[in-house]
Amino acid sequence: MSSLENATSLLTKLKGLADAGDVEGGKATLSQLKIAMLDFPSSPEHTKVATEALELGVLLTVSEGDLDAFARSMAQLKPYYAGGGGTAQKSHILGLNLMYLLVDNRLSEFHSELELLTDQEASNTFVSFPINLERQLMVGIYDEVLNAGMNVPDPSYQFFVDNLLQTVRDSIADCVEVSYKTMKIKDAMTMMKFDTQKALMEYVQECRDDWIVEGETLCFQPPPMGSKASDIPSMKLISQSLSYATEMERIV
Amino acid sequence: MAKKEDPPKKDSEKKEEKDKGKKEEENAAPPLPPLEAAGRRLERLLGGGLSDKDRTLHTYSNPGKVVRRWLGTASGASGGATLEDISAAATKLLDPAGRCSAGRVLLKAETAAETAMDVEGAETPKMKEAGYLSSSADREVEGWLISLMVRLLWKDNKFSEAFALAQKGIDILMGYLNASALKITSMSGVSAASLYPLLARMFRFRSLVAESLNDPAVAASLRQDMARGQNMACLRRDVDCQATLINLMLQDLLNNAQVEQAQKLLANSTFPDSASNNQLCRYLYYSGRIQSLRLEYTSAFSNLSQCLRKAPTNTGLGFRIAAQRLLIIVQLLMGEIPDRHVFLSKGMKRELSPYLAITQAVRQGDLGVFHQVVAEQVTRLQQDGTHTLISRLAQQVVKAGLRKLHVSYSRLSLQDVADRLGLPSATSAEFVVAKAVRDGVLDATIHHEEAYVQSHDLVDVYATKEPAEAFHRRIAYCLTTHNDAVRAMRYPPDAYKKQLEASRGNRRKRNDDKTDEEKAQELEDELDEFD
Repeated sequence: MSSLENATSLLTKLKGLADAGDVEGGKATLSQLKIAMLDFPSSPEHTKVATEALELGVLLTVSEGDLDAFARSMAQLKPYYAGGGGTAQKSHILGLNLMYLLVDNRLSEFHSELELLTDQEASNTFVSFPINLERQLMVGIYDEVLNAGMNVPDPSYQFFVDNLLQTVRDSIADCVEVSYKTMKIKDAMTMMKFDTQKALMEYVQECRDDWIVEGETLCFQPPPMGSKASDIPSMKLISQSLSYATEMERIV
Repeated sequence: MAKKEDPPKKDSEKKEEKDKGKKEEENAAPPLPPLEAAGRRLERLLGGGLSDKDRTLHTYSNPGKVVRRWLGTASGASGGATLEDISAAATKLLDPAGRCSAGRVLLKAETAAETAMDVEGAETPKMKEAGYLSSSADREVEGWLISLMVRLLWKDNKFSEAFALAQKGIDILMGYLNASALKITSMSGVSAASLYPLLARMFRFRSLVAESLNDPAVAASLRQDMARGQNMACLRRDVDCQATLINLMLQDLLNNAQVEQAQKLLANSTFPDSASNNQLCRYLYYSGRIQSLRLEYTSAFSNLSQCLRKAPTNTGLGFRIAAQRLLIIVQLLMGEIPDRHVFLSKGMKRELSPYLAITQAVRQGDLGVFHQVVAEQVTRLQQDGTHTLISRLAQQVVKAGLRKLHVSYSRLSLQDVADRLGLPSATSAEFVVAKAVRDGVLDATIHHEEAYVQSHDLVDVYATKEPAEAFHRRIAYCLTTHNDAVRAMRYPPDAYKKQLEASRGNRRKRNDDKTDEEKAQELEDELDEFD
């Protein structure tokens, strides 16, 4: 039983560190704990300790903002969840995982994860938050997505929401440039949720250099040019007609 | 999934059944119980049966095939069998001193409690006259009888007994296979292939029973065992077990909603080409389901429609309904509206009615109506396992609604769009319209200041390159079809020479004729002109 006691004490320490926000110390303790977990027999108590430790590990990677480490910790944790284990933190972690898949645009995996949820889990705020976000993104209700940053169910979601904002901004920019002719800079700022005009200008310069800034307005679609002779795909038509001729020749 | 359990019968099999009936009449001996008769028939088919050697029907080189066909015909005999019938057949057919004694004891043990069994010794003289099966078919009949008994126990809801028996049956058959693998050089090594269909059948029954048992520990142990069995089946080139086990594993994973795992299994295994049509249908259904859950709608669509095409038309209604409703949803998710007659086909009308309502809501393009319909049917959809797929449809509803508005109005305020589609606000509507424009659903411009959408005038299609391209696509298709047809033609050797000579001769003749005619014509023309 000594291994369990040892691990439990490490876990309490880890919890304290995680609450205090000490990422480095937490990581060091977690790796000690992981070494201890190698000798764990498969008893319910041991599994519970291991699950809790790995859950804390996931939360640590989120506060650190390391997406790759997050994916790794999730992969370690998943077998414990698949075995039917579950702690109070489970829906929180599952929600974070869904957010991660959404940010990473891995929608097929996102939907596979949804299949695994029970109704009760799916109605939990931690989990329903990313589900709603995904639906809004698919339909195109971007303003709700942008406002979602205001009411995250847990501070740990903020990291993913911020990440998502960038993706959403790109999508909005894609939509705006085909559906508007011109737009006031002020309106564009509110639509894309930029705080200052400068931020918007920087974004335009960085990612959208084909947008034309004319005083107070942004111009997306340059006036259509007159048709030219080069618009007629003459070479293509000729080759097509020639190929018809050769094929017909072959038939007759 | 009991509805998928019974393999559909084919016409040829029915005919064979009739043949069997005739043969039995010819025998004119006291009628044998159907199970025993079927067992003896298999013995003859497999080339055994020393007592009536002259009546050997056929000798096949592929015993697996023989057993597969025989299983189809024997299903008539096994239909009404009871536990007593089975154990009686076992006592008559299986030699207690032979290698199948284990199965005999097993089969008898199941009924021992219910019927007072004769003393072993008293039976023996009776056996002598009937004769046990020879070594050519005893293993097969043993496996068959065990599988029948498993099915009966399962029907009587004795799941744990059925499971134990199925497990023992698999062990017995596996034991035979291993034994014959050891003496691969002798005759028995070759004939082990006849056990494959029976083993596959046993695996299927075991999974069926395990599903009814609904015990996670059993399911976990089976998963490992099935993977091992699949491995062995591949090594033995056992097509029946390979196909059956892949399907069973996919089914197990899908029942547990392990879509990622199922996808990995799908990607890393090859389904045998020569598997039976029924297994292929199931495989197509499972792969369609996995792909639809993973948003790969195009491939899901092709798999499911192929599955429906291959599925038997006279039986397996439950299976066809399951495939059909999945196909409807996939079509809706792809932005297509399924044909109306799909919902009205025979036997499916009632089952598909919720999906008809959903389809109508999608067509209408009103989010409010759609959510209402889904809420009404929610328990039904969860039962069908389609609820998560249906909830993805909201996007298509909005698209359909927008398209409708787009064709009816040339200019519409954003607030109206929001009201019509059931969106939360005009701002949301603005984003939704913008996204639709980008996705190519609409051709319109948004005016932000005045908050309205202006549809673009319809462009004259004939002023664009579109018709030329459509024409090219069709011509290209016709030309490839022609070329493929030419390539696929077969020519008898040297036949062209005759034709060549004939045509050469003809041409010369025709040329001569023509020249004469032409000369005459020319002369006439000239004369006319001069006149």
